[in-house]
Amino acid sequence: MSDFVQAGQITEAKAAVERLRANMRLTIRGKDDIVEQVLVCLAAGGHLLIEDLPGVGKTTLAYSLARSMDCAFSRIQFTSDLLPSDVTGVAIYDETVKEFVFKKGPVIANVVLAYEINRATPKTQSALLEVMDRARVTVDGEAHAVGSPFMVFATQNPVDYEGTFPLPESQMDRFLMRLQMGYPRAADELEILRSQRGGYDAIALNPVVTRGDVLKLQTLVHQVFVEESVLEFILKLVAATRTEAEFRAGASVRAGIALRTAAQARALVLGRDFVLPEDVTELTGAILAHRLALARQTSDALEVRRAVNAVLKRILAAIPAPA
Amino acid sequence: MSTETKPPPLSLDELAQLKWLLGGVLTLLGVWTVSYMDVEAWELVILTTLVAGACVWWPTLPARVPALMHTLAFPLIVAFFVGDLWLTGSILPAMVRLDILLLLYRTASYRQRRDDLQIIVLGLFLIVVAGVLTVSLAFAAQILVYTGCALLFLLTITLVDAAHGNVKAGIFAPVPRTVPGWATHADWPRLFRRLHDVADARVVVLAVALFAGVVAISAVLFMAIPRFQLENSLFLERFVTKKAKSGFNDSIRIGDVTEIQQDTGIALSVDVSDRSQAPGAPYWRMLVLDDYTEGVFRLSPRLRMTAFGARERTGASALREPMPKLGAGVVWTFFLESGVSRYLPFPGRWERVQFRESQNFRLAPDLGLLALREEPVTMTAYRVEGVEISPVIPDPSFARRWKAANDSDRRHGGLQSTLNVNVSDTERLRALADEITGGAAVAAGDFIERAGAWLRERHSYALSPVIPRGTGDPLVRWMTSREAGHCELFAGSLVLLARAAGFPARVVTGFRGGTWNAYSNNFTVRHSDAHAWTEIFDPEIGAWRRTDALAAPEVQRAAEQTGEAALARRADSSWKARLDSLRVFWYRRIVSFDQQSQTETLRNLKAGAQRGGQQLREALARAAAAVRAWFGGPWDARRVAVVVGWIALNAGVVWLVQRGRIRFRHWRSAKSDDPVRADASRWLRRLGECPVPTAECAAVRGELQRLRFGARVTWPEPEGVFRRARRALREARRERRPA
Repeated sequence: MSDFVQAGQITEAKAAVERLRANMRLTIRGKDDIVEQVLVCLAAGGHLLIEDLPGVGKTTLAYSLARSMDCAFSRIQFTSDLLPSDVTGVAIYDETVKEFVFKKGPVIANVVLAYEINRATPKTQSALLEVMDRARVTVDGEAHAVGSPFMVFATQNPVDYEGTFPLPESQMDRFLMRLQMGYPRAADELEILRSQRGGYDAIALNPVVTRGDVLKLQTLVHQVFVEESVLEFILKLVAATRTEAEFRAGASVRAGIALRTAAQARALVLGRDFVLPEDVTELTGAILAHRLALARQTSDALEVRRAVNAVLKRILAAIPAPA
Repeated sequence: MSTETKPPPLSLDELAQLKWLLGGVLTLLGVWTVSYMDVEAWELVILTTLVAGACVWWPTLPARVPALMHTLAFPLIVAFFVGDLWLTGSILPAMVRLDILLLLYRTASYRQRRDDLQIIVLGLFLIVVAGVLTVSLAFAAQILVYTGCALLFLLTITLVDAAHGNVKAGIFAPVPRTVPGWATHADWPRLFRRLHDVADARVVVLAVALFAGVVAISAVLFMAIPRFQLENSLFLERFVTKKAKSGFNDSIRIGDVTEIQQDTGIALSVDVSDRSQAPGAPYWRMLVLDDYTEGVFRLSPRLRMTAFGARERTGASALREPMPKLGAGVVWTFFLESGVSRYLPFPGRWERVQFRESQNFRLAPDLGLLALREEPVTMTAYRVEGVEISPVIPDPSFARRWKAANDSDRRHGGLQSTLNVNVSDTERLRALADEITGGAAVAAGDFIERAGAWLRERHSYALSPVIPRGTGDPLVRWMTSREAGHCELFAGSLVLLARAAGFPARVVTGFRGGTWNAYSNNFTVRHSDAHAWTEIFDPEIGAWRRTDALAAPEVQRAAEQTGEAALARRADSSWKARLDSLRVFWYRRIVSFDQQSQTETLRNLKAGAQRGGQQLREALARAAAAVRAWFGGPWDARRVAVVVGWIALNAGVVWLVQRGRIRFRHWRSAKSDDPVRADASRWLRRLGECPVPTAECAAVRGELQRLRFGARVTWPEPEGVFRRARRALREARRERRPA
């Protein structure tokens, strides 16, 4: 935040975002708010966890984003027998050169779709920790950079928990936001039914931004101005989760930073070089909810989500936003 | 949520919490007034304070009271009242205790609307009773605070009722042993923060200003309406307020005054209409004690009958006898605090006393004293006219009796010359008198000086005297010792010595001196100024001579000096005097404000306003004439330059003032409270309330958001943005208006 964003940079960034938005709308119908939040996550350089029932467009969303960018995309189907090396890659002895050669795993890409991430064992899930945090994998003591930009697009089913391994809190904390797709509206669903698309390979989208554009966007986010009262507002929100009796533990410092960065990204996505309190309030649920656990034990995951969101809404109502 | 989002209004629970809090405060304010009254209820006051404080702080407490207590509460309270009345026989103290008990019960149980209103009425009863009885400045402050709180309380009750609608059995209908929802999560610091956030500063300031205005108007009206004595219209006459330690009774025992002198509370405030006639240190006569028996001076029954008469009088004034006045219209106005004495203090002889209202009193014209039937329970104000201040008090009646009496009558005939001590003490006293006079017959004036000097030479002054052990009269024992003593010992000794020398003599009690309040220009006499001195009859002039055995003649003469210089020597300009002046202001303007002074004040106010208006009009007329004359004169380059310079100067001043205002606001504002950001926030809020959001509103909104939340280097020119916002808002309002 040392330098301020120039007007021209804002215009360029806004144009890139609008191109992405328009391109994704070609395949994702009636989900403008979700598209916007995905773009916010991309601009903020964060990772996304999408929870919803199968078949509501999670993968399509990931494909749309990946193909709208001139980026490498890979998809990993997480299963209980998936090994960490299946994700990160492995060093294989090459007879011809008489040495171990690193064979890249699918995680070495720009956009990685981790499909049904909770079906993998904790060991495999944790293989993603380093790569999500540091954007690199270390195999046999040798670090290998993943793509830049790098974004993990994980999905999981919130209802069917049979044979799954819930993500540990440390891994949840590394996702910038968690979204729910939800069913489309009837008119949008009718439009989807009319379309002739079949399979993900039929998603024919031309890249509208380059990797360089995305990197520029991500750099610019950190220059978006956040006024002192907005920072204090973020702090109050985060602090309120720590004193709230219904939560087992409050949001972490990383959560506060994530909320600030996401708010900056939203401001940029909407063409502003400063953050409004509404940027914070609009993102609070998506950024904080998956990092908070209820103090009382509840087996129903959907009930937990509803309760956490309700408490967050109460906190938002109780803490006046700067005006 | 947008930037214009206001804090959410107080919820029903928060209003209920506020109502509970204010109810507790009103209870405490009401109950604490009992401390002004002399009512045996301090245990109840402490209990109510503790219970009310605990219930306010922990609002779940009342739910822990057993249901049986709620059932039995009222029968028990009524039984207590009946028993109290039966045992004490005093209606008002019993009612006060009943009131406290009812408040205690109300504050320790969840209340409905009628219970809240009861709290106001019960608290008001206590405050009014205490206020009417004490008529103190504290009462004015207390009733103001109470009224403010009660208004807020009523507003809160109304808001709760309005929000609650017509639901009868909702969350606020108290159910025994059940904690209402609002009480479970009561958090007072948070409630205060919410009140702070929700309260609109402008509304609060307006409300306070309105309240102050109403109080000011009420004060003016109060000063304009005729006075009446409330306590005489109600049933409070027998009810006693807190007493000061006075000790001024019909009899005093040597040594009792010591306690009085520790009390620095005000006993008397006196206004003097003509300062040049006021002595620097007056002697305020209250009571004459002529009979002495075994260390006790008392007003003898004989003198009581002959001087005060058998008949009690009733009236608003007491006329003594015409005498030359000290200048035309010299009036001394006395404000005697409650609990001092039923004998009124006077600075000398007087012609007429005027009370505020009718009094029952006995007048002793020869002694120059006046005694009310009972010790006043409130401050008593009276005016004294025809005052003559002199150390010599003529008493023709006594002079005639003294002249006609033979030796035996003089010794045993009640002519204030009886020693009343045993034979040996009588002999010792005569021997002492001979030692003082040298065995020769001396005049009364000469004897007074010699006896005073003899006493001062043998004894020093001390608040805690030591009377030597032994047989015989205690005063004679002290006199013949070298022990220190206080005023009563000196005065009593002089009386005995004078009587031994053949002069009638008596002890007079009252106050001596006091201070001159430099702020309110009045005498302030404290309980610690209580004093006793001697009056010795001089047969040659047929009058009593006042003498103070403690003070040397030159000191007494200095005390008799009158005028500004004498008062200046006793002037008190300390902070305590400043506070005392408030009390005197209160007495002058509110308490003892009769029709005449009322009219005078209003007339002065009117005259002052008219005079000020007239002066202002004349000044304006003169200025206008001067300006007209100047502009009507021939114009030249110099005149034009003056006009241009004048306009430029004014423009410069306006510019500087504006710059200064902005800089001042910058200086006052903290980093987080940048004035531009604050203004932008205000305009954003106004635009948020814009009835018709026009395109211009939307455009200017973005700029305002930048001013409010954007980086300072990216700001547009603030004043321009604010002007646009003003225009946009005006246009939006115009568009809303129907054609």
